[in-house]
Amino acid sequence: MIPLALQSISEAEQPFVTRLRVATGTADAADSILVAEDIDGATFAGRNGLVSISGSPAAALDGDVVLVSSGVGRVERLLRAGGLEIPTNTLLVTERCDQLCLMCSQPPKKTHHDRFALLTEAALLAEPGSLIGITGGEPTLYKAQLLDMIETVLAARSDVEFHVLTNGQHFEDADVARLAGALYDRVTWGVPLYARQAALHDRIVGKKGAFDRLQDGLAVLLSAGCRVELRTVLLSSNFTALGELARYVTTRLRFVEAWSIMQLENVGYARKRWQELYLDHSADFGPIAAALDHAHLHGVEAQLFNFPLCTVPAPYRHLARPSISDWKRKFVPECSPCAARERCCGFFEWHPDDEARSGVRPL
Amino acid sequence: MVADTGRFFRAGPAARDRIAREACTPEDILFLKEEGHVPHPCSRLERRSRQFAEAERLSWANRLDYLILVPTLRCNLSCSYCQVSRASLTSTGHDWSEATLAAVLDRIDGLETKSIKVEFQGGEPTLRLDLINAVIERCRRFERSEFVVCTNLQRLDEDVLALFSRDDVYVSTSLDGAAATHLRNRTASSTATEQFLGNLRLLIDRFGIGKVSALPTVDPRSPPEPDELIDAYAGLGFNSIFLRPINFQGFARKRHPDSREQNGEWRRYYERFVRRLIERNWVDRSVVFEETYLSVCLRRVFQPGSERHVDLRSPNPVGVDYVVIDHDGTVYPTDEARMLARSGIIDLSIGTVETGWDTPARQTLDRHSTNAMDPACRQCAYQPYCGRDVIDDIARYGTIDLPRTETEFCRKHMHLFDLIFELVYSDDPAVRHSVSRWLRLPGTPTELGVTLP
Ligand code: SF4
Ligand code: SF4
Repeated sequence: MIPLALQSISEAEQPFVTRLRVATGTADAADSILVAEDIDGATFAGRNGLVSISGSPAAALDGDVVLVSSGVGRVERLLRAGGLEIPTNTLLVTERCDQLCLMCSQPPKKTHHDRFALLTEAALLAEPGSLIGITGGEPTLYKAQLLDMIETVLAARSDVEFHVLTNGQHFEDADVARLAGALYDRVTWGVPLYARQAALHDRIVGKKGAFDRLQDGLAVLLSAGCRVELRTVLLSSNFTALGELARYVTTRLRFVEAWSIMQLENVGYARKRWQELYLDHSADFGPIAAALDHAHLHGVEAQLFNFPLCTVPAPYRHLARPSISDWKRKFVPECSPCAARERCCGFFEWHPDDEARSGVRPL
Repeated sequence: MVADTGRFFRAGPAARDRIAREACTPEDILFLKEEGHVPHPCSRLERRSRQFAEAERLSWANRLDYLILVPTLRCNLSCSYCQVSRASLTSTGHDWSEATLAAVLDRIDGLETKSIKVEFQGGEPTLRLDLINAVIERCRRFERSEFVVCTNLQRLDEDVLALFSRDDVYVSTSLDGAAATHLRNRTASSTATEQFLGNLRLLIDRFGIGKVSALPTVDPRSPPEPDELIDAYAGLGFNSIFLRPINFQGFARKRHPDSREQNGEWRRYYERFVRRLIERNWVDRSVVFEETYLSVCLRRVFQPGSERHVDLRSPNPVGVDYVVIDHDGTVYPTDEARMLARSGIIDLSIGTVETGWDTPARQTLDRHSTNAMDPACRQCAYQPYCGRDVIDDIARYGTIDLPRTETEFCRKHMHLFDLIFELVYSDDPAVRHSVSRWLRLPGTPTELGVTLP
């Protein structure tokens, strides 16, 4: 696993954002340049003074946009530069949420610590051609700040795109004009929908009336011509309701750019409720296959996230995306002879090893 | 039953009766709701998604990004049904002048699009590589560009090969079936046929099958056995066969006067051909043959917006997203219109490349370029999938003032959609296998169309 936070000591009295640089050639004012490196760590100097970072060689940090806390604390690697074809990183804008999903991977907290100004600064420093994910909590609880941040960054950086994960509970018709603006051509909204049955969806997200509210939210996104990626996490409770959901998608949600059916992540609440929630798709792929066929039949691009390739029947394998980010992805020893590793999502770092190892069939 | 959104279902006899008597059961209502036919009036999403689905059925041509260019009318072959009334190899005055080339390049400079598609037609366009290259050079500024050279592949020298080796250049040619058929229709000599087939193989070997597409033209009075044609295509590695009967216009009309409309015989042949494809696809599942146009229509039924087929859409505006620029700089709305003018039937040109084509002629043609208001089409279940082609009507009947159902365009599509729904509701696993592949599905669903019993 690649660490996203490292211990640090900084001279600054306030937290600040900077981009770490090993070489001086390309420096601009927001950069901190490497001045010393030894076995304990690396020290960088910039307009906010010195910061010493331990736990990583300096070269691995080159180009990273980091948030440095004051004094003794840590650096958060907000935007890692290293080696991806499309640099992809995720910014967490709040830990508050108005839903409480059964399987939440990042259980919400009560308090909100506003960092929009710093995150905006960071996003402006993103690598060329970056795709920046925004997540929470629920980002649209702070809709005004969120949209301001998106617009500021996109107006300044024509090469950057955003992907925002939102529960879709807070869009109003009054937002249509703003969301229809040209800048939003570079924003995709990832919106979860777990079942066509309101009661089942509400139970999964832990909020009464959520399904109805979501319908209105989706109506706003539709009217604004927004790009929407619909997301459905697979659970034992919604597995058999997938067929009805597929029909709902092809009749009501034809405007979505993609429908992602996602396998569960063994972390957060899902970890505690694993036995109750997890659905082993390799035991019965039928309902998933039927949903994928139905969606594609009617021209909706359906895809699979977090499905290791060898666990998917061959005709559907090309729909399984390498969806797990490098920093939290692992392969098990049984994967080593596999020819499909490059295209495979692998497993979440925290996925139970015995389950993973017994399930793989190298391709 | 088909909604304006194109979403359809089959009603069994009992259900038809209940609907006619307005005696729907709660199960019927639930079915209709879930299928999206009765949007809930209080749901913003249901109302808007219904409008969205209806809008998806309309074509939305808005800016010019597709040019069909005829740099020369001269040709080194004389095919029995040549549609463009070619000019002889040595004739003069049948190529773009300096001024025409300059005007074409000016037009390209003025395009407000990020991507462009250019098709070079003829005559034999490779006789004027210099003109082709000048156009390609001028298209460098586009983010994406695609060039298709429609050639008879008689001549494949170093310069032509250099052009074809570009990644953004594709080759389109005619292949009428086995060598004998091709010879009879086109080349007239076996050396020329051998030359053509040799060049075709060379291209496929060197650049892969994706580089080349081939189209047959079939004489409906003596069509080849389906297997002969399929084998000829399969032998070269082609899976897609566009089964077109001879188009009666142009030069061809003089030689084949009886080809104005296709009769039941042709339609039976077409169906036999499709059934043969289905059988072959089932026996050997490692390849999937398709009839190109049937697949286009099939995808229009299920997957609106997945096809940009300018011959089947509604509205079908002329001179908007694509135009044809002839060898003398005259601008036509379609290639068919160009042939009509060449053969002296009717001049449907809409302008010139120098002076533009936002002309009264274009507006007149445009006025009826939709099936939305046509009384016959409004009654027709297939309206959301179908299109409108005023040029075709004028070509065949000299007028567009006809009941739609008495036109070849209508009869052809009525037959195609009838066939499609027969296939969609077939219980035969072989049929469902082929239909699913033609629709590019990952698997083969047990049910392609729903039924209300
Ligand atoms: S063996 Fe491992 S790498 Fe290969 S497909 Fe399975 S999980 Fe992926
Ligand atoms: S099949 Fe004929 S009547 Fe039906 S929509 Fe097409 S042209 Fe109109």
